[in-house]
Amino acid sequence: MIEAIKPNRPRKRTSVAEFLVFTLPLLLFLVILYGTVLWNFYVSTTNWVSTAPDYTFSGAKWYAYLFRQSRFWVDVQNNLKWLILGVVPTATAAIFLAYLLEMAPFPGVEGYIRTLILYPVAMSFVVTGTIWSWMYQPDKGIFNTIIRSFGIDSPFTFTNDPETATYWLIVIFIWQYLGFSVIIVQSSFRTTELQEMIEAATVDGASRLRILFSVIIPNIRSGIMVLVSLLLISSLKVFDIVWIVTRNGPGIATDVLATNMIVTSYDQRLFSAGAAIGTIIFLIAFILVIPYTIYALRKWFE
Amino acid sequence: MRSRNKTLKIVVIAVLVVLTCAYILPIYVMVVNSLKTLPEITRRTYLAFPSAPQIQNYRSALFGSRDFLIPMARPIVNSTIITTSVTILACFFGGLGGYYLSRTVTPFTRIVFILVGIALYMPYQAIIIPLTTITARTGLINSHLGLIMCYMIINIPLASVLMGTFFLGLPRELEEAAEVDGASKIRTFFDIVVPISLPAYASVAIIIFTQVWNEFFIGLTLVTARTQTVQVAMAMTQGSTISPYNLQMAAALLTVAVPLLSFILFGRYFIRGVLAGALKG
Repeated sequence: MIEAIKPNRPRKRTSVAEFLVFTLPLLLFLVILYGTVLWNFYVSTTNWVSTAPDYTFSGAKWYAYLFRQSRFWVDVQNNLKWLILGVVPTATAAIFLAYLLEMAPFPGVEGYIRTLILYPVAMSFVVTGTIWSWMYQPDKGIFNTIIRSFGIDSPFTFTNDPETATYWLIVIFIWQYLGFSVIIVQSSFRTTELQEMIEAATVDGASRLRILFSVIIPNIRSGIMVLVSLLLISSLKVFDIVWIVTRNGPGIATDVLATNMIVTSYDQRLFSAGAAIGTIIFLIAFILVIPYTIYALRKWFE
Repeated sequence: MRSRNKTLKIVVIAVLVVLTCAYILPIYVMVVNSLKTLPEITRRTYLAFPSAPQIQNYRSALFGSRDFLIPMARPIVNSTIITTSVTILACFFGGLGGYYLSRTVTPFTRIVFILVGIALYMPYQAIIIPLTTITARTGLINSHLGLIMCYMIINIPLASVLMGTFFLGLPRELEEAAEVDGASKIRTFFDIVVPISLPAYASVAIIIFTQVWNEFFIGLTLVTARTQTVQVAMAMTQGSTISPYNLQMAAALLTVAVPLLSFILFGRYFIRGVLAGALKG
């Protein structure tokens, strides 16, 4: 679709001055960005353990230190919970919801739902987290007050229970990202080829669920891939929800790599260890965005 | 056929009810309780309307009071300065960079594109220690400029990709005609491409504004008392100090007011920007 530059009509060459005007700011900030990533990696191999920087080389000492900490493995477990439960239910619900909206039998439903579930996109996790942590509060919270008003003694302690706290936090994440996910899925529904296929399948008498699983889902794979990548990276980067709602607690039950990084660097002042966590998060993020980057690259230069 | 439609209708109605409750409740709780008196909050009739709307709660949240020690007015001003500057600069420079990326196919642009693509999803944790060092050594940490620079690092690549996506979709004929007439690439860009891309700039501006306004991690680690952003102040109502729920909710409403209003007013641009970033970039 993107019109390639026609070989028979060569464009004027870009002069050096023009090149610099267009790209210098972007390149400059890219250099700063990747420079700081490398610098951070460098810090992780030094021995910086107080307020004053100390760049004495210490090899992989701080990585080894981290791997010995049980807290690090709690983080890894929690990050895995986030990666799986932040992504799979959100994407699944988004696909079903988008499909339901496509065939909504009442007029106006689609616009209403879209606005309703999309407004959290404009809100910060700090605010959402503040509201939800009040709703979750076991004693004075909204949910338990409502449950109690029915005369039932609420069995939920939400984020106060170390066993389930992370799951309740993930609920907030799903709540916040559902609308965003739905519009991404919806936009990949709206190709003429797919609409024609759906029509043909309907004429053939295929059931609605059958259409969803054997016509729609195989044909929106790239849309799903994009959505899953975005959700994966957002759930990996999750910091605000944990920090605001539970502050890693109870104990360190909801701790994740991102919050541990702050505690290690700025509370314990083990900057080298903090930098090591930063490097680890970067590497995971890097692996997670690879499929997406390849897809985007193909699409861009096709 | 008819029975199938009936099942569908029941499913849709069930989904409607569930979603309506789940998405109205948090915002309803925030708005209604921000207008109540403290005794009303203590009575725990959270879903009831306030007996008399307490508009002065917002004054307490903005300027502080005996019960609320974190005046939000200054952080709102700080966030407005920082966010507006980043939005304007990122759109300007990102537009230039994105135009170049969308019009040139060389190995160099491919590499830049990959670097930009990864930059979009850079976890801030991987760069925060160097950023702290740089801003502390240069003294930038004491001014808004420090935070503006830090946000630009992530948002210029983002703006480049988003704007580039829009530029890719533009027909080239106009630009080629201008170049045949002897206009330089820079003139072509500013005289021809920018004017027809203003809606795209609006989309990107809203995305970046919302993202920077809502950013918490860098704000938390880099702010000083003078540059405290609105999210950091909001987080303090939850952390170190205990605030009564009514004033806390008033502060929360002030914190989301700007991005939420822009979403309500310019939702179309917002969605278009989100999709551009998600599908093409």
